[in-house]
Amino acid sequence: MALFAVFQTTFLLALLSLRTYESEVLSEPLPLTPESLKVSVNSTCQCLHLQWTVHSLAYHQELKMVFQIQISRFKTSNVIWVENYSTTVKRNQVLHWSWESELPLECAAHFIRMRSMVDDARIPKPGFWSNWSSWEEADAQNMLGHDPLFVFPKDKLVEEGSNVTICYVSRIHQDNISCYLEGVQIYGEQLDRSVSAFELKNVSFIREKGTNVFCKVDQGGVLGGIVLFVSKVLEEPKDFSCETQDLKTLTCTWDPGSDTGLTKQPSQSYTLFESFSGKKTLCKHRNWCDWQVAQDSQETFNFTLLAENYLRKRSVSILFNLTQRVHPMTPYNLLPKNVGATKATMTWKVHSIGNNSTLLCQLELLAEGKVIQQSNVSIKVNGEYLLSELEPDTEYVARVRCAYTNHFWKWSELISQKFNTAEAAPSEAPDVWRNLKLVSGHPTVSLFWKPLSKVHANGKILFYNVIVENLDKPSRFEVLSIPAPASSTELTLDQCSYQIHVTAHNSVGPSPASVIVVSGDPGNEEVEKGRVNGTEDGFSVSWKPQSGDATGYVVEWCDGPQDLPCVLQWKNLGPNTTSTVIRSGAFRPGVRYNFRIYGISTRRMAHLLEKKAGYLEELAPSDNPQVVMSKLTSRSFTLSWKDYSTESQPGFIQGYHVYLKPKAGEQCHPAFEKTVLPEDSVCCKYTIDNPEQKTFVVENLQPESVYEFIVTPYTSVGEGPLDAFTKVTTLDEYSHTLIHIILPMIFCILIVMIICYLKSQWLKEKCYPDSPNPYKSSVLSLIKSKENPHLTIMYVNDCVPDAIEVINKPEGSKIQFLGTRKSPTETEFTKPAYLYLLPTEKNYSGPGPCICFENFTYNQAASDFASCGHFPVTPQAPRHQLGPLTSPENLLKALEQNYMNSLGEIPAGEANLNYVSQLASPTSGDKDSLPTNPPEPALCSEYKMQTAIPLGLASAPPSENSSLSSTTLLGQGEHCR
Amino acid sequence: MDLRAGDSWGMLACLCTVLWHLPAVPALNRTGDPGPGPSIQKTYDLTRYLEHQLRSLAGTYLNYLGPPFNEPDFNPPRLGAETLPRATVDLEVWRSLNDRLRLTQNYEAYSHLLCYLRGLNRQAATAELRRSLAHFCTSLQGLLGSIAGVMAALGYPLPQPLPGTEPTWTPGPAHSDFLQKMDDFWLLKELQTWLWRSAKDFNRLKKKMQPPAAAVTLHLEAHGF
Repeated sequence: MALFAVFQTTFLLALLSLRTYESEVLSEPLPLTPESLKVSVNSTCQCLHLQWTVHSLAYHQELKMVFQIQISRFKTSNVIWVENYSTTVKRNQVLHWSWESELPLECAAHFIRMRSMVDDARIPKPGFWSNWSSWEEADAQNMLGHDPLFVFPKDKLVEEGSNVTICYVSRIHQDNISCYLEGVQIYGEQLDRSVSAFELKNVSFIREKGTNVFCKVDQGGVLGGIVLFVSKVLEEPKDFSCETQDLKTLTCTWDPGSDTGLTKQPSQSYTLFESFSGKKTLCKHRNWCDWQVAQDSQETFNFTLLAENYLRKRSVSILFNLTQRVHPMTPYNLLPKNVGATKATMTWKVHSIGNNSTLLCQLELLAEGKVIQQSNVSIKVNGEYLLSELEPDTEYVARVRCAYTNHFWKWSELISQKFNTAEAAPSEAPDVWRNLKLVSGHPTVSLFWKPLSKVHANGKILFYNVIVENLDKPSRFEVLSIPAPASSTELTLDQCSYQIHVTAHNSVGPSPASVIVVSGDPGNEEVEKGRVNGTEDGFSVSWKPQSGDATGYVVEWCDGPQDLPCVLQWKNLGPNTTSTVIRSGAFRPGVRYNFRIYGISTRRMAHLLEKKAGYLEELAPSDNPQVVMSKLTSRSFTLSWKDYSTESQPGFIQGYHVYLKPKAGEQCHPAFEKTVLPEDSVCCKYTIDNPEQKTFVVENLQPESVYEFIVTPYTSVGEGPLDAFTKVTTLDEYSHTLIHIILPMIFCILIVMIICYLKSQWLKEKCYPDSPNPYKSSVLSLIKSKENPHLTIMYVNDCVPDAIEVINKPEGSKIQFLGTRKSPTETEFTKPAYLYLLPTEKNYSGPGPCICFENFTYNQAASDFASCGHFPVTPQAPRHQLGPLTSPENLLKALEQNYMNSLGEIPAGEANLNYVSQLASPTSGDKDSLPTNPPEPALCSEYKMQTAIPLGLASAPPSENSSLSSTTLLGQGEHCR
Repeated sequence: MDLRAGDSWGMLACLCTVLWHLPAVPALNRTGDPGPGPSIQKTYDLTRYLEHQLRSLAGTYLNYLGPPFNEPDFNPPRLGAETLPRATVDLEVWRSLNDRLRLTQNYEAYSHLLCYLRGLNRQAATAELRRSLAHFCTSLQGLLGSIAGVMAALGYPLPQPLPGTEPTWTPGPAHSDFLQKMDDFWLLKELQTWLWRSAKDFNRLKKKMQPPAAAVTLHLEAHGF
């Protein structure tokens, strides 16, 4: 036992001595446990920060150690992370280690512990782990408030495309919590009774104001949310380059790409760093930055452009020599000097670069937008260049750009300048043609010329000179000056031959002369007429070559249709040409164009060679001729369309079709061809193949039958419209005989009628004179002369009426009127007008003969008596006498009373009844005695049974009871017979 | 109707009587100061105009905030917007307020809301939104001036802000962006409710200040003639 105790003591001493040796001399691998472990939570980066020390180390001892760290979530047994952290450790050194959690730290408590092991090469023995430190808890939930629902991470900034874990912590322990990403529900994993997590993968940028994630308790009014800021990924700057204009300042430019700016994060910043000088500058702009070149003539530069935002940094570098990045400034003062018709000198200036630097400048000359000349000039400050071979009166644009000669990098910007060259005399004679015609018997030549092209005019043409030289009288000239832009003139000539010179003038001088010879004789020679075919390209005109001395040919035509004024066109052709194609934009299908080919002689005189006519494209006729039908018989009729012009048609008329619709069942005449019209009706067709035959006799018809016909022309393309047939009815076979009888009879009757009309007055007087007009009656004169020379004619004017007939016209309104009160003045107007037929004292012009009827014979004595029997008749009756007359008795009484009163008022000897003769309407007698002369009674024309009434009643209006006959009212014996 | 000579004398006497009493009719007796009526009318019109303007602005701004703030049925709890003046009030309480209290509440509310709105403007990211907000702030400033005018016309003093209680807009770090968005939402909502309430207030005040419409009734019955 003692031996065992000694051995044990010895072993312990040996072990102690060994440990002492290791720890102090040989660095014995001791289990150095981490101490003072502290854990802190950083919510912004969702990081756990650990710090600890190792106290057991000796002074000045440095050991390489491994720390194994364990992290558990919710509970210590739920280890979610194990990591070995190797580092060199000194005595009492505070060690740090961070861990970023995917799950927001606020959503779960975390527990951390660690152990260590010496892992130093100086200690050959294999190490062993120390004991674990105690668990340290990191619980951010303690920092939360008392809200019922929290969502984490708050306001996190992430890059586009990254994955984010969202979680909520509920203090109300309810299951009905829903979470939404931008309004769309998301589903996650429940980590704990009150914690759920949602993993958002590959998040994308939505708006600067952030992506909204919120959770709410359904129907609970509890809501919590976060804003997730998703930044676009910072792009590497593109096209980074630097250049200088003056070797003093460098300007660096780049394409920054898209902006990652959020309300949570400002836009990315750019910093320029130059490695040789070690300088850097923060750029004020997103895409360019200026860099001042130091005075020490640094030639080589190594620039690094650094772009950074909260999440990322990007950089790009370039290395260059300063003189190889010279981009000169734009030249200035580019001006034309000594501008002539064909030459001009251009001058310009450049900004100098450094000392004695040379610039290569490029001068370009443009006409009508195209570069026509290009020259390179080396200059220092002032540039000059002579441009030649220019066109007169032309606008040019000169432009200049320059580059650094030592090392070409870039052309400068262009500077441009317009200028115009001066004018020169026209270089070519105008193209002249003529047209000869007789105006009022005088030969007249119309001269036409084409305006000179810009190339030949060399300036603005001001006028044209026309010199007319009489070839028969060489000393006579006539000069006409015609101001531009006229292109024609007219000259009246005589029968002589004339040579005409035409020149175009601008401000510098005249053009060469164009010479043409005309003779006073228009010619109008008959020449060969032909046809010419039109194609899409135009008219291909050919002619026979003129034998002899033709110096050229001219083809002449009018651009418009024949019915429009001719716009004369011509084309000059060489002496060896016998065909040409005439093109014109004015040519239209369906229009006939006439071409005339002239040969030009050596004397410059034109002779008509051929005439051609053609259509660009023939069309079918659009109208039919106006057909006149004549010579209609029972079996035939003639059609004629003489006025139809074949020249002005939309094609060459080849003939005519005569269509005839026969009677039903009737066959076509053998000369006709049976055809079916478009509307399916059967028709007989006759074809006239001669366009000049414009009459046609339709024969072999049935008498008294209706036929329909139409005449339509046809061209190579088709015929005219078959729309308006004309109807014709053939005569019957006897109609002409009847006409021979009826016409004379009608003539005779007309003669008789005319005679009767002319002698109508005579006949009337003889046979039926106006009645009664006894004076005009031949019978009366006969009686007068033979029987009683004293017999005279009764004048109705002289007739004194002896009776008044009351005409019964019952009018209800007037009866009513009698029953109302009215003032005396008003009742005056109720006086019947017809009482004026009797003369009154006032208007009676004088006594006249009055004839009383006695046994229907006229009695002169009676007439004499009556002449003094006139007395005034007053229509004014007393009111009481106009009282109710509604019964026959009352009426009779009234009449009697009235009668008595009348008697009382009338003087003795005159108290007679007046008898009004019943007269016919005055209009039936002598019209001169109409009421325009009231005192004169109307002529008596008709006699009726006469009645007498008391004068006082004459004005009484009729009433129902007054419909008694006059015989009832009057007593016997009071008639004047 | 036949008029006799005596009738016209009676009517003339009646007309003379009416004309004699016309100066005593309040509605017609306005020779000098028109009173607060026109300024109340203008304030009412401006309120209605702001209501219309806010409808457009709120639509734009809530879209800028994103869902759920721009959803029509979104009605969040009032978490961080306690400092905003509430427009909602019990009907009985509201009826019991006198004109001065109503105007004072309106003035104070718009003073606060204008301040918050200017903060909103500073925070807005897009230039177009900033323009719209600035325009609305100017209009709201005009409404404040208009209310002050009405109060002055009625002889009421303007409320003086207590020192230290002036509203300030501070996007504090403790205030999360989501809560800030909620505040913005509530700001617009309260603004809308205040404008609606103000329109009612000014309409009520306008009617109150108007003379009764039936003040002048000419009884021209010809009885006794």
